[in-house]
Amino acid sequence: MTMAPPLFLALALAYAGLTSLSLAMKRHHDQVMGRKLQPERVRYYRWPGWLLLALSLWVTLTVWPLGLALFMAVGLVAIAGLPLVFLLPYRARLAGRLAVALPVLAMLTWSTVALV
Amino acid sequence: MNKSFRQSMAWLHTWTGLLLGWLLVAIFITGTSAYFREEITLWMQPEVHDSTLQPGTIDMALAALNAKAPDARSWDISLPGPRQTAAELRWQPAKPPEDGRRHRGEQILMDADSGEVVAPRATRGGNFFYRFHFELYGIDRLWARLLVCLATMFMLIAIISGVITHKKIFKDFFTFRPGKGQRSWLDAHNATAVLALPYHFMITYSGLLLFMTLIMPWGIDAAYENDRRSFFSEVFSRGEDAAQPGSPGEMVAIGPLIEQTETRFGKPVERIQITNPNRDNAQITLRVNRDPAVTDRQRGGDPTQVFQGNTGELIDTHIPANDPVSPGWRIYNFFTSVHMTRFADPLTRWLFFLFGVAGSAMTVTGMLLWVSKRTQQLRRDQQPDRALKMVNGLNMASITGLMLAIAAYFLANRLLPVTLAAREDREIQVFFIVWLVSLVHGLLRPNRHGWIEQVAAASLLWFAIPVVNIFTTASHLFTPLAWQHAAIASFDLVCLILAALGGHTLWRLQRKPLPAKARRAPAPRPFNTTNPASEQPAGESP
Repeated sequence: MTMAPPLFLALALAYAGLTSLSLAMKRHHDQVMGRKLQPERVRYYRWPGWLLLALSLWVTLTVWPLGLALFMAVGLVAIAGLPLVFLLPYRARLAGRLAVALPVLAMLTWSTVALV
Repeated sequence: MNKSFRQSMAWLHTWTGLLLGWLLVAIFITGTSAYFREEITLWMQPEVHDSTLQPGTIDMALAALNAKAPDARSWDISLPGPRQTAAELRWQPAKPPEDGRRHRGEQILMDADSGEVVAPRATRGGNFFYRFHFELYGIDRLWARLLVCLATMFMLIAIISGVITHKKIFKDFFTFRPGKGQRSWLDAHNATAVLALPYHFMITYSGLLLFMTLIMPWGIDAAYENDRRSFFSEVFSRGEDAAQPGSPGEMVAIGPLIEQTETRFGKPVERIQITNPNRDNAQITLRVNRDPAVTDRQRGGDPTQVFQGNTGELIDTHIPANDPVSPGWRIYNFFTSVHMTRFADPLTRWLFFLFGVAGSAMTVTGMLLWVSKRTQQLRRDQQPDRALKMVNGLNMASITGLMLAIAAYFLANRLLPVTLAAREDREIQVFFIVWLVSLVHGLLRPNRHGWIEQVAAASLLWFAIPVVNIFTTASHLFTPLAWQHAAIASFDLVCLILAALGGHTLWRLQRKPLPAKARRAPAPRPFNTTNPASEQPAGESP
């Protein structure tokens, strides 16, 4: 299962990216942060969101060959996005915290596995 | 976009979705299980669970074949891997039987530890669902395939018209508003559809590609002058024709050849094929598992080495990833390989399984949305008409009913006597009887009570599977054996997850009081049953 740690990281990055993109939207910013989104701050969430998704794609490319990797990268968006969609109305704060915690946890896991 | 165009697309989406939706739900759920069809078959044959690949397995397999069929035209050994615990031995007899079974040949399973032949209980295993998802059961194969093909085309239409219909595809990208009846179902349907859209498109389009020769045979008929057999042998050639058997001769020891192949490819040998064994023109073909890289190069393309049987001389090394392939074929190969996922390692397989769950959830929420919308449109004192009741009843049969039937199929596998005659058919009969009962029940009680009863029954049956396993096998969750082969323990765990999801759904259904509006009405409003938040994500069998 050498591909498990990078896969976990790709998934965590996709989740963080999608959460960041959702924070660039009024409705979800309200839900997660509990305050109004200032229009000029939209870019603070939108650009990092796309960047994180690009990073997720980049990690995916190390796991699978090109064609399959592209397909799996968009597939991971579904697997990361569906929990987010269903967390937002119930546990919005948790959804936000996971976006920070998961990539950190994934990187720790990977480095632990790499060191052992 | 033109409003009336969008409206006509909405109409198209609603009605194509409804017309073949029930079939699509069944195709999606059984198809999702088919990602794990070998694992399901393994679980359904507990007699072979206690078997692990050993250094001596290959020698024992060759000895077994030498004892069974020393003069066979060919031998074929599949070694245990992540999806299979026993070694599978097949051979083509020297004199093919007259009943036309020549191409299949004979097959036995061998315990990889002891080298003994094992005779597991008769079952169709996961292949039943795999076959069902593209040719159903009990109807003529051609007509069944045409029907599934039609449903696939409708699915493609539904995908395209659905995207056009969806007004706020980006604005509502992450939106789910629970507890609002139709609105919630629409959100859930949109989320599962939009987020997994590339998967839905891939699985539908590749499904059509796999049916290509069935639905558009005219080009082939014109080019090959109605001789389809020569088209298939030319385009989908498998190169299986063996040379005439030579005179008897010794074969070299296989150990060094295996070492050579494993060093060359850096992977363990998984399959050994020997044509004309024990002859002076014997050929030994060693295959390792394919790379995902070959998905767009060649279907069924395992890296392979071929050796001369009597000298051990290397004749051919074939790496399909290096084959020149035309762009058209690469697209065809990519789509169909991804659809069938034969290349996948366990982790990638789980991801595809989750994609399948999302696809099933999309079809299921679509069907429930159809009923929810029409129920919400009813006036306060208005009863749902017969058509709406029927749709609700059919929904129940196709969703909870199918989940009930699948669970019953697995339970029948454990509870029917092992020596029962025509056992594999009895398992399938149990499946269809339970499904039929749920259909009748659904049509008789097309209301909230009906849903509650079926969800309760399904949760109970799924929970019963790992429990019954404890009493009927030696590889249940509390044995190390089940955990030794991840597939076996995972099966029971997925059963427990499905039971828990069902239980959660049941809790939500029970807890939620009937809508106030309905309580004031003369009769309780019987529809609009579940809260989508608690909807089980159209759970699958593993």
